Amino acid sequence: MIRTIRADLHVHTCLSPCAESEMKAAAIVMQARRIGLDMIAICDHNSTENVSAVTKAGAREGIAVIGGIEITSQEEVHILGLLRAEEPLMDLQEMIYKNLPGENDAEAFGPQTLVDEWDREVGTNRRLLIGATSLTVEQIVDAIHEREGLAIASHIDRERFSLIGQLGFIPKGLELDAVEVSPRATERDSYDYPVISSSDAHFLSEIGKSTTAFAVEDASFDEIGKALRREGGRRIVTEKMEDLSLHILDIVENSINASASRIEIRINEDRANDLLTIEIVDNGTGMDTETLKKALDPFFTTRTTRRVGLGLSFLAQAAKESDGTFDIRSKPGEGTTVKATFRMSHPDCKPMGDIGQTIQALVTGYPETDFLYEHKKDDRTYRFDTREMSGK
Amino acid sequence: MAEKLNLDVRSAKGSLEREVSGGYASDLLSDVLANSQEGNIWVTLQIHQNIVAIASIKDLAGIILVNKREPEQETVEKAEEENIVIMVSELPAFELIGRLYKLGISGMG
Repeated sequence: MIRTIRADLHVHTCLSPCAESEMKAAAIVMQARRIGLDMIAICDHNSTENVSAVTKAGAREGIAVIGGIEITSQEEVHILGLLRAEEPLMDLQEMIYKNLPGENDAEAFGPQTLVDEWDREVGTNRRLLIGATSLTVEQIVDAIHEREGLAIASHIDRERFSLIGQLGFIPKGLELDAVEVSPRATERDSYDYPVISSSDAHFLSEIGKSTTAFAVEDASFDEIGKALRREGGRRIVTEKMEDLSLHILDIVENSINASASRIEIRINEDRANDLLTIEIVDNGTGMDTETLKKALDPFFTTRTTRRVGLGLSFLAQAAKESDGTFDIRSKPGEGTTVKATFRMSHPDCKPMGDIGQTIQALVTGYPETDFLYEHKKDDRTYRFDTREMSGK
Repeated sequence: MAEKLNLDVRSAKGSLEREVSGGYASDLLSDVLANSQEGNIWVTLQIHQNIVAIASIKDLAGIILVNKREPEQETVEKAEEENIVIMVSELPAFELIGRLYKLGISGMG
């Protein structure tokens, strides 16, 4: 079952000389839990030695932790490497250390403290972690991929230590799995790679300052990889939550979670009558009156663990804001019909967004489910039925 | 200039006759892209192949790598394709730029 998780995939610990000493394993995961994150990745400068402490603390506190590293290339570009398990991470670590000259001066750059999962200080790293390796950007990306990791260019929107800042533009053919934008970023769309945003936290209060929402089956390394490659319906959830296409996606995912085998999505943009109608009909398990009432409560979800799945209440609110209507009918065993209307000329009417991409993601992501997509625009109609396509 | 400063030419020997309008020094390629001028000789320690693209886009007179930094092989190949002169100096940047200045190459106008 696909659900939405929230992740901050770039968090430093007190091993990074520039990070605060408060950035210890348990403190980090407690803070992540407090602000409602599902997953974090630990990426210290050129070292992975605090990863296992944070992973253990995360297992204790119910926060998924991906082991990572923020490698400095010889061009002084920062590249994040996220790895599946401890062994490849250690292997990568060894290779980085072989190519990292110099010794740390704690007075000048700050201490590099090793901790355990209970935040006890257990040692110090003496290497010049803040320094640059002798490896090129390409060599680093290759080294990460050889160990089946994910290579992500750090804070690409910044000048210092970013791929674009140092090298002017992204080298042609560089096989990055994603680019990361910093909390300050305003532009998200102008890269040829999947875009994630993370905090690059050096203080506890910075954790989760910028995050990425992923639609995945669970909070794991493999699922994040699938989401970056858009496999099996996994994807990055765009942060532009105002787009109606994303509300539609939410509603359809509710239908899928309610075991629907056929879902009909009808959109009618009728400019002559200034009326946009969105109707989603499924043959899933349906809801009784009481559940239906709760479904419109913004904090309701059929999952007991987390308070997300805000689709219905968001769509209802969006319709009301544009002087429209919202209606939901559902019966146990018969399925659910959701219908929302919008006054198109209303200044608060939300944009449709990329509905084509949404439909494509659904059809490829849920091959077991039949979809009907019917989109009327004034007097033109576009219709698409997976049942007809597959000849069933 | 190449002879006077004892520079080793690594690419596009044919383009050595080009006139130099002035100089620019930076290791941030985004900065070079924004602030260098056409015909400038560019002093840097970056050896990544992107330096060739920047020199080509900005129509720079050539690139001098300091501290004996050797260009990557891809960088040399790209530079041959794009006809961009790359030269290597034994000197650190400060010293090399001082000598360029003495030869009458300025960073301003």
